[in-house]
Amino acid sequence: MTPNDVSLPPPLPPVDGGAPAPEVPIQGVFSAMEALLRRPADLWSHLRKPGAGATILALIGIAALCMGVYGIVIGTFAGGDQLWAAPLKVVLGLLISALICLPSLYIFACLGGAKTKLSEVVGLLAGLLALMTILLVGFAPIAWIFGQSTDSLGWMGFLHLGFWAVALGFALRFFFAGFRVLGQGGGAGLKAWMILFALVMVQMTTALRPILGQAPTFLPPEKRFFLSHWTQHLKEPSPAGAEGQRGAPAGAQPAR
Amino acid sequence: MKDTAYPLEIPNLLRGEVKSIERWLRSGHPHASASPLVMVLVGSALYGASIGLWRSPLQAGFAAIKFPSVIILTTLGTALLNGMLAPLLGLNIRFRESLGAILASFAIASLVLGALSPVAFFLAWNMVPLGEIPSAGSNVHAWVKLFHVGSIGLAGVAAHVRLWQLLKKLAGSRAVAFRVLGSWLATNLFLGSQFIWILRPFIGAPWLPVEFLRPDAFRGSFFETVFHDVLQLIS
Repeated sequence: MTPNDVSLPPPLPPVDGGAPAPEVPIQGVFSAMEALLRRPADLWSHLRKPGAGATILALIGIAALCMGVYGIVIGTFAGGDQLWAAPLKVVLGLLISALICLPSLYIFACLGGAKTKLSEVVGLLAGLLALMTILLVGFAPIAWIFGQSTDSLGWMGFLHLGFWAVALGFALRFFFAGFRVLGQGGGAGLKAWMILFALVMVQMTTALRPILGQAPTFLPPEKRFFLSHWTQHLKEPSPAGAEGQRGAPAGAQPAR
Repeated sequence: MKDTAYPLEIPNLLRGEVKSIERWLRSGHPHASASPLVMVLVGSALYGASIGLWRSPLQAGFAAIKFPSVIILTTLGTALLNGMLAPLLGLNIRFRESLGAILASFAIASLVLGALSPVAFFLAWNMVPLGEIPSAGSNVHAWVKLFHVGSIGLAGVAAHVRLWQLLKKLAGSRAVAFRVLGSWLATNLFLGSQFIWILRPFIGAPWLPVEFLRPDAFRGSFFETVFHDVLQLIS
C-alpha cells in the first residue's frame, strides 16, 4: 500500500438516506474511537483545530490500552510471567517504535512535499497506532482461540504477524488518506517511511523477545537482527503439535 | 422505531426481501434477535443430529449440540472484528446491525440445512451402519461425506447470496458490499474452521469411541493439520 494508490476511505452513506451528517465534535476516548472507525474525516479536521492535543493524547491512550489487551491475549499462550510481561513489552515496543520513527516521519513527509505541522503529524501517527490496535483487539478473540488450541510457536507467531499486517494495512490507509487531506501529499517520502516503520516494529519484537514463548531472562541476552532470528527459528525442528513448546520450562527453548 | 420489535419472518428472510430484513435490522429491539437465533439453533441442530446419527444416536445428540455451537461461537468470536471492518470498508452500520446481518445469513443457512435434514436422516438410515463398513472396498463413507459437503455448500451459497443483496442495499455500492462480504466471509471461515476442529467429531469414526469432544480437542489447529497434510502429499 502506498500513498499514491490509497484513496480516501469511501464516504459513509447516511443511514436515513438524507444529507451527509455534519461534523461531530470529538470529545473523549470513545468519541475518538468512533471517529477512527466511522468518521475519519472529522478526526483529520479536528487535528487542525486548537485543542487537538487532548484528542492526540486520547488516541495514544487508546493505542496503549488496546495493545495491552492484545498483549494479554499473546501472554495467555505461554501463561505464567508472560501474562504481564507480554502486554508490557508490546505496549512499550509500540510506543518506542512510534517515538523512534516520529522524527523521520516528519522529515520524510516534508521531503515529499507535505505541508503539515508537527502536531498534525503526531496526530496522524497517533491515529495510525490507535486504529491498528483497535483492530488487533477485534482479532483478539480469534487469536485467543488459536492460542489455546496449539502448542506451535511458529504457527502462533505467523498468526500474530498476519493479524498485525492486516491491522497495519487498514491503519496505513487511514494515515495516508489523512496526509493527503491535511498535508497535500507526502509522496515518496511517506513510502520510504512506511517501510522503515514496519521494519522497526518487526525488529522491536526481536529486541524485546520473548513475547510469545518463554525464556530464562526478561530480555534477550544477545542482540540479533530479526531476519537471522526468524531464520534460525525456522531451521530448528518443530513438528506439528510438538509438545513442550508452550509451557516448556524457562531456558528449554530459544527466546522468541 | 427502536421500541418496536420486528420479528424476522422466515418467508421474508428466505425470499431475501431486503426492506423487511432491513427494518428488522434497524429495529434495535432486544427481542428481535431472538428469531434468527431460534432458526440457527433449530435448523442446525437438526442437521447436526442427522450427521451424527450414522455413527450412533448418542453421537447424533452430541452433534445436535455442537453444530449450532460452531455457528454461535463463530458469530460471537468474529463479531467485534466484523463490526469494525464494515465501517472501515465503507459500510456505515452499527456493531449491532453487522452482528444481526451475519446472524440473519447464518439463519438462512440453518434453515436450508434444517430443511435438508430429513433427507440426511433418510440417508443415514439407509446406509450400512458406520461401525459395519468394511475397511476396504467401500465408498459409502465418501458418498455420505459428499452429500454433507454438498448440503452445507448449498446452504452457504444461499446465505451469502442473500447477505450480498442486503449489503448491496445498505451500502448503496456493489464494490463496498463486495469488500465487506469478502472480509466477513474470510474471518468467519477462518475462525469457524478452528471451532469445527475443536468440537470434532461430528460424524465420528468406527474405531474411536463416541464422545462429546476428543481428549486432544485443543491440540493443534485446523490449518496446521491441513498444512502438514499438504507437506506429506508433496514430499
